[in-house]
Amino acid sequence: MNVALGVWPARWTRQQRSTATIAASAVVLVLFMWGVAKPLSWMPDPVGPVADEFASGTRVTVWLTLASGLAGIAIGVLTAVAKLAPFPPIRWAADLYVWAVRGTPLLVQVLFVYFALPAIVPGLQLSDFTSAVVALAVNVGAYNAEAIRAGIVAVPKGQTEAARALGLSPLQTFRDVVFPQAFKIALPPLVNNVVALLKDSSLAYVIGVVELSNVGNRLQAATFEPVPTLATTATIYLVLTTVLTRISGAIEQRLDLEQRR
Amino acid sequence: MSLVHSAPSLATDRPPLIVAEGVNKHFGPAHVLRGVTTRFFEGEVAVIIGASGSGKSTFLRTLNRLEKHDSGRIVVDGIELDDNVRNLDAIRREVGMVFQQFNLFPHLTALENVALAPRRVRGTPRAEATRAALELLTRVGLADHVHKYPFQLSGGQQQRVAIARALAMNPKVLLFDEPTSALDPEMINEVLDVMKDLARSGMTMIVVTHEMRFAREVGDRILFFDHGELLQDAPADEFFERQRNDRIRAFLGQISH
Repeated sequence: MNVALGVWPARWTRQQRSTATIAASAVVLVLFMWGVAKPLSWMPDPVGPVADEFASGTRVTVWLTLASGLAGIAIGVLTAVAKLAPFPPIRWAADLYVWAVRGTPLLVQVLFVYFALPAIVPGLQLSDFTSAVVALAVNVGAYNAEAIRAGIVAVPKGQTEAARALGLSPLQTFRDVVFPQAFKIALPPLVNNVVALLKDSSLAYVIGVVELSNVGNRLQAATFEPVPTLATTATIYLVLTTVLTRISGAIEQRLDLEQRR
Repeated sequence: MSLVHSAPSLATDRPPLIVAEGVNKHFGPAHVLRGVTTRFFEGEVAVIIGASGSGKSTFLRTLNRLEKHDSGRIVVDGIELDDNVRNLDAIRREVGMVFQQFNLFPHLTALENVALAPRRVRGTPRAEATRAALELLTRVGLADHVHKYPFQLSGGQQQRVAIARALAMNPKVLLFDEPTSALDPEMINEVLDVMKDLARSGMTMIVVTHEMRFAREVGDRILFFDHGELLQDAPADEFFERQRNDRIRAFLGQISH
């Protein structure tokens, strides 16, 4: 991924190149989400005529990933902190959550949130999209928690001691000193999780979310032409995961002060 | 040498800055501090020496509660160190610490390292904290390195940043935990020189070290720890020139050769 930074002028600082890569990737992503219909429409049947459906499926997939990805990182941070809490019941609750989520299939979790949760919590009404976001966020949050916990544990104890000795509160110590270092350590596994999340978001199709896989599969079933329809679907996923890894590669570069990578 | 400070015996008319009374500490079965009782006065440079594992670093770390003592009393600037968190934060603002391993924040520049605590803890505006940090880094001879990250600095430079960082909070006392033990020999003096300057400026310092020359030159008072006990607490000249304790004489004989 670091090759991507090489296209920028050498006199730019690492940080400027990283920012440029992130900005360029974001622009590519936005152009792709709204512009992919155009090249797809030039394709022959059966893809060409339904280019707009593919484009809207792509947008739904990206929104699913962004929403559940951000929520999943927040859940991951909170759970990681809870796992390291001095008060045992908080640790137990966090362990229970991670254990349950990692021990059950994501497909079951998606179905559970959509069908079972409203039955358990009266009055709860979630749309198919929201249900999918909740299930995906809860799922990736558990995996993120492990990555972030490992990052926090890897920050030397002397860092906390130095911060506390300066009079920083526990919260300030975490926010200003421990978390930035832990996040850097946790970033590669977090990126793995988010890339996996992008692909796992396809499971939202079982509860009727019209995301990319759903579009591809329905078209395949309607036209009996699996090769062009599913190849198109797969290619769009590939573009999305590539853009995602470019962005995370740039973030890694930005945090890598020592330039070890 | 130390015109600014008076000998501890003359200082007893002032209230002590730190009082330790019968401080005990265990690590599991090991009794690492055995009833340590002493006081530290403003403007004084106290040097704590002793063999490895004698409890000297542990004692220093109880003074800002990086280690909790099991029994006894520690009072800093009139505030007793106990489980009351408010007390603890108030005390840590007044007690600076410099560590053996520097413990600079690796994701922040030298300037940011120094400015962080004043901004967060004292609420100093960024511009003002940065200006003060710049001044302090200049004072420790690092004006040309303020925008560097810790990994770009030598050990001696990192330790000087760490001293500036501790000074930024305007502490009433600075604790040094073997500040030169992790340094290459050629870098020890640049750190000791900064510490000597500080001592001359009247800073109250408690220094755990193996640097006997520094102890002799700068120390007003020497505390010798042995197996968790404060074996001797004497003015520096008396300690070095008229040492009567055989055990300490043997220790000094070993370490200065």
